[in-house]
Amino acid sequence: MSKLEIDRAEIRFGSYEALKGLSLQADDGQFVTLLGPSGCGKTTLLKAIAGFLPLDRGTIAIDGRDMKGVPPERRDTAMCFQSYALFPHLTVAENIVFGLRQKRLPRAEQVARLAQVAEQVSLQAQLDKLPSQLSGGQQQRVALARAMAVRPGVMLFDEPLSNLDAKLRDQVRLEIRQLQRAHGFTAIYVTHDQSEALAMSDKVVVMNAGKIEQVGTPEDVYKRPVNRFVADFVGTANIVPVEIVGRDAAGGTYAVSTPMGPAQVRSDEPPIADRVYACWRPEDAALMPGDTLGDNIFRLAVRARTFLGNLTDVSIGAAGGAGPSYRVQTLGFADLLEGVSYSFHVPPDRLRLLKEAVA
Amino acid sequence: MKGHWFNRVLIGLLLAVCFTWLVIPFALAMLWSLVDPNHPWSYPEILPPALSLGRWIEVWTTTSLPQTLVNSYALAPSVAICALLLATPTAYAFGRLDFPGKGPAQILTLVPLVMPGFVVAIFFSSLLFSLGFYSRFAGILIGHTVMFLPFAIRILTVSFALVRQDLIDAARDMGASPWAVFRAAYLPVLRPGILAALIVVFILSIEEFALAFIVGAPDFTTVPTILYSYLGYNFIRPNAAVVSLILVVPNVLLMLLLERLLKGANPASITGKG
Amino acid sequence: MKVRQTLLAYALLLPGLGLILVFMAFVLGMAISQSLGFFNFSGESGFSLRFWETMLADHQLWRSFWYSLRVATLSAILSVLLAYPLALWLRKPFAWSGTISALLKAPLLVHGLVAAFLYINFISFQGFLNLALVSTGLIERPLRMQNDANGIGVIFLQVWKQMPFALLLLTGAVQAIGDDILDAARDLGANAWQRFRKVVVPLTLRAMQGAIILIFIGAAGDFSFQVVAGPTNVNSLSQFMYRIQETSVDGWNSAAVVAVLLMATALVGSVLLAGAVQLLSRLGRA
Repeated sequence: MSKLEIDRAEIRFGSYEALKGLSLQADDGQFVTLLGPSGCGKTTLLKAIAGFLPLDRGTIAIDGRDMKGVPPERRDTAMCFQSYALFPHLTVAENIVFGLRQKRLPRAEQVARLAQVAEQVSLQAQLDKLPSQLSGGQQQRVALARAMAVRPGVMLFDEPLSNLDAKLRDQVRLEIRQLQRAHGFTAIYVTHDQSEALAMSDKVVVMNAGKIEQVGTPEDVYKRPVNRFVADFVGTANIVPVEIVGRDAAGGTYAVSTPMGPAQVRSDEPPIADRVYACWRPEDAALMPGDTLGDNIFRLAVRARTFLGNLTDVSIGAAGGAGPSYRVQTLGFADLLEGVSYSFHVPPDRLRLLKEAVA
Repeated sequence: MKGHWFNRVLIGLLLAVCFTWLVIPFALAMLWSLVDPNHPWSYPEILPPALSLGRWIEVWTTTSLPQTLVNSYALAPSVAICALLLATPTAYAFGRLDFPGKGPAQILTLVPLVMPGFVVAIFFSSLLFSLGFYSRFAGILIGHTVMFLPFAIRILTVSFALVRQDLIDAARDMGASPWAVFRAAYLPVLRPGILAALIVVFILSIEEFALAFIVGAPDFTTVPTILYSYLGYNFIRPNAAVVSLILVVPNVLLMLLLERLLKGANPASITGKG
Repeated sequence: MKVRQTLLAYALLLPGLGLILVFMAFVLGMAISQSLGFFNFSGESGFSLRFWETMLADHQLWRSFWYSLRVATLSAILSVLLAYPLALWLRKPFAWSGTISALLKAPLLVHGLVAAFLYINFISFQGFLNLALVSTGLIERPLRMQNDANGIGVIFLQVWKQMPFALLLLTGAVQAIGDDILDAARDLGANAWQRFRKVVVPLTLRAMQGAIILIFIGAAGDFSFQVVAGPTNVNSLSQFMYRIQETSVDGWNSAAVVAVLLMATALVGSVLLAGAVQLLSRLGRA
């Protein structure tokens, strides 16, 4: 039995369908991230799990119990809000023990948990302060501590890092993950930042317009995206329509015709149609010396070059400027000249067929 | 959703209560004012036997109502303008300047709101008496102006605070004279505030009873004091009904006008009225 | 030029705030000095405590005092108690909430005297309520409800007129509470009553105190409601003050004593009420 089970959840606001029949599972102790652009329904789903929004159809079950009709105050969930939602009239310590008082835990137990949680988020020195006296990062930690103190079955995170600056974000990201592993609680984490999702999760759920596009480990969704949306949303992708022209008898390798030139593609599963989309990542292309030609080697001209410090980002395309641009990116391309054509090699196993046919 | 029908019941209940609370009493007042003087309405008849405007005409021609209306509607605009003029410098200071003691000063402007009306009325008149000051109109004018200054100050302070410094700077930067700066940067924002202050003080003055009663008695009547005279020992129900409507209807219209004017800002929180 | 700006600011305050303070000081001064025997219009002026002595020994004064105190406290508390749930209900807009809000605030537009008139019209011996009760057979003969001895009519009118005012103040305060904070409280296990006393009350305390104080002061100094709809066997403090001033020999001076007493009551009563509310809030948070 999984910790959290969502079955064909549907939510409608008037005529607008926010969730279109989603199903999802989270096991005990898993860190699951809901990843998607604004408006995809991830926050709606999170609120439904917490109990703030009722489902129009479908069920949500925690520990096997159907949560229909169970209000937020009686669910075994705790939420870390995007705006932190700290009680402005209570001190840090009072904020943290708020949930414990609701549960009527004995005083000694409350004090013990407060001390433990305060130490874990390094807030021991701030316990008597009011939220207005804390920095953004400290407030975020109070929100985290407050939810953790309650030891919920499922911890819900609503884009908790979005209001922090970049450096702090990286640091807190790591801390949250470590705390989750140490405590072993099940986490449902909402974000639109794909690097957060990849860095923290056991399982990534990519959402778009109320539906789930793909569920998998971070590696799965990055290396083996199922369609254009996932390929483009998680990391950067070069997406090309290809036509299947031949198949290797041994199976697994297909000859395709791409706008960049002919190529070989390795795929574990057969393509779903004769003309499908394929994708390759900027870091998968290698520069070949001289005028080399051959399968999977594409002759393209440099259209623009951006030096980014540790990488150089290069935009390439057909000579003459017509047609789409592709992005390639690695170390050491510093000496490419704009307007000049070079040979780029994309290996067969890096040119991935997507499960999306060309219309 | 369980919440929905509960809500509906509450709404229904509230509408029923409001009906009894507001509509019926007013309807009654209107009915009473329209009772034909020659066919008095008495128990146990449910509705008056005859309706006519006779009562209105009678009140108009035989009582001091016309003079009263003149008094009230001459007093109120005068009070409004005086209050506006006197409030403006203070509101400017509160809205745009920072100085030590600003907080306490703002609290002090609210003093008239916490003084019981009758105390102010009686001892102001006592003051006037001992100074040998006998003009009733002027006396009430001064009293009202001071009593309603806090409202004008409060409204104008909000308006002044809304004037954008960067617009003032831009106007000056482009060589505008002080008057032109005022017209460009201040006036557009101040205009609704000025109107609001004028309307609010106007309404408050029309409705004010205690001061007008004490200082004005017995010759200078305002609408509230004449209404009082019909409610005291001399209870003439239909007359009271007529005057009630004269008192309430214009004010309701003015308040609606005010609401429309301040669409966006919350007029009630500024003026203390709905 | 900090000093210059400060001077300028104070100069600007003169016509507005300055006038208010001067005026109030004079009125207050007048009341206090007349209570102490000065400005005696009907006899010799001079410091004297005799007015205080006479008034404080007057049994009627004390009846008025306790009556006004009772009416004012009950009115203030009832108004706020009614306004809170309504403010919370109207916190988020829903169908008809705008209309309801406007209807609830309508009494603010109705003049006190008019309200009193409508009220006695409604409940008078031959009025609508009696008529309705008799014709539906609930009672046989009309009830005499006007000018009841307990001042229930006055309290009713005060609440009718003041509850919308409290609603106004509380609505603003309640709407200022972020949704997130209430959601967080729910999420951590607080039910509706707990959310009310632990989050809503502490965060709207100032507005509630403001409402209670202003309503209390207004009701303590009431004259119109009392005269029209109040009991005939006891006066409110303002009514008493007015009567004394009109009718007694040393009218002004005696009335001055009552005035000072009334103001002191308003002040002390407000402080006590505000303090009591603060205390209750503290207890409720626990």
